Amino acid sequence: MRTLLIWGLAAAFVLPAWALDNNIKMPVNLDRLAARATESVDVTLDASTLELASKFLSKDDPDQAQVKNLVSKLKGVYVRSFEFDKEGQYSLNDVESIRQQLKTPEWSRIVGVKSLKGENSEVYLQKNGSKIGGLFVIDAEPKELTIVHIDGPIDPEELSQLGGHMGIPNIGRSGKHENVKGAAKSGNKDQE
Amino acid sequence: MTEFEQQLARALERREPPAGFTSRVLAEASRQRPVRSRWSAWRWTLALRAAPVMAALLVVAGGALYQNHERIERGEAAKQQLLLAVRIAGAKLHDAQQRVVSIGEIRGAGIEEEQ
Repeated sequence: MRTLLIWGLAAAFVLPAWALDNNIKMPVNLDRLAARATESVDVTLDASTLELASKFLSKDDPDQAQVKNLVSKLKGVYVRSFEFDKEGQYSLNDVESIRQQLKTPEWSRIVGVKSLKGENSEVYLQKNGSKIGGLFVIDAEPKELTIVHIDGPIDPEELSQLGGHMGIPNIGRSGKHENVKGAAKSGNKDQE
Repeated sequence: MTEFEQQLARALERREPPAGFTSRVLAEASRQRPVRSRWSAWRWTLALRAAPVMAALLVVAGGALYQNHERIERGEAAKQQLLLAVRIAGAKLHDAQQRVVSIGEIRGAGIEEEQ
């Protein structure tokens, strides 16, 4: 009985913290940005939808087979992307609440680039023991804001291996594009 | 009256049926009716019993087809969304990587110039 009580109390404290860490809430004000955006993408794929999507990926297509392998262990994929016709349509405060959620010991910022041109990139990794438990990307450009959250074990190297395929540009060691098969946002935004 | 008209009149003149014709017809009819009606009744019973089963089967088959169609549509939509998400994620990671590399190159060039 006593053991049960201890376990119950432990679960009561640990579970909410776990749930908080693994469920980063997209701020509501992001949805308001869609009204000002010329193009917007809203992708929300939970574990069950990912599983369903994965079944429809072709094994014969090398790109799709690679994606299938990549997402097989994931718990969710969330993307919000907004493209505006002029600058100043969003403020960095719009993503500040996400940054606050990432300021936990589980998350660590591995890339933080701020440029004078206003092209800022941040990449966060979620540590899950010795493995990566998630990936978060905030990409803020003068006329574009993109937030990507990949929930689950992912190797960013695997994701970057898709470079040169599926419209993802490839980057060489020198930083120059090696093989670009179309832009990343090649007309698929209207699929929302 | 011509010969032809006479032949026609003879051919069409009323003749009484042979004796016992009516009773023979009725007897034959009553002899065959039970067999035909039993077969007909059995067919109707079978049809009436099978109709709801067939209707239920049609509903179930239709439902299964519709569900499968829905699942395929949802799956295809989810697949397209996933591919789009992977494209955007990959491109944004690439952008971040490129920015880091270009900063490294600028700094490297600065150090070389200083030397």
